[in-house]
Amino acid sequence: MLLEATKTLKIALIFTVLGGFILIYYFFNPSTNFFLPCPIYYTTGFYCPGCGSQRAIHLLLHGNIIGAFRFNPLMVLTLPLLIYGLGITVANWIFGTSYRFMLFYSKLFIFGYFGIAILYWVLRNLPFYPFNLLSPSG
Amino acid sequence: METPSNPPMGTPEPNQPMSPPPDNNLVWAILCTVLCCMPLGIVSIIKSTQVKELWLKGDTAGAQKAANDAKKWAIWGAVIGPVIYILFLVVYFLIFGLYALGSY
Repeated sequence: MLLEATKTLKIALIFTVLGGFILIYYFFNPSTNFFLPCPIYYTTGFYCPGCGSQRAIHLLLHGNIIGAFRFNPLMVLTLPLLIYGLGITVANWIFGTSYRFMLFYSKLFIFGYFGIAILYWVLRNLPFYPFNLLSPSG
Repeated sequence: METPSNPPMGTPEPNQPMSPPPDNNLVWAILCTVLCCMPLGIVSIIKSTQVKELWLKGDTAGAQKAANDAKKWAIWGAVIGPVIYILFLVVYFLIFGLYALGSY
């Protein structure tokens, strides 16, 4: 009985957090509202691999995939992996299972992905064509 | 994607646990990266890569520890980013505020 109660509580918590997140990013546009700008961009003036993610999420929730892609292509491409990975993590947490996303254990994937992230970090700060397309204002 | 490498027939692996390896928490490291808390995320990634290796060697405790460390560093990365930012903002407004007060 207690186990069922905790399970229900966990599901409710996830729905609240997820729902809140979606509502906030749907109704408020991060480029005009009270959202925290990226700390790295704010302090150094350089874009980081995550710059533009909030605006991209806002556009994605409005179905504008191309617009989102222009703000942060890496984030948009990573999103399916993130949703799948987080989904498994959350399911394991709620149901006490131990499913694994084996792609996340592949060294090739891990170093490949983070290698790309670092390359992307450098390239999106180059102020000329075609690399300026990667910057969040492109 | 879910298929682990199958060992060659006839070579039983030394005390190979048949359960899945501990969660290496890479998803948090990725989240950290796309939400820009890179530096500590990298420690998390290194720890993540050790999980499966240690697990395949049969070092259950070591694998679990690496997994826990990966999680710890990803969480630190995610927390420290905004904390530094807020500190910066406070200092910035303090200086700006004092400057504005002084100029009137």
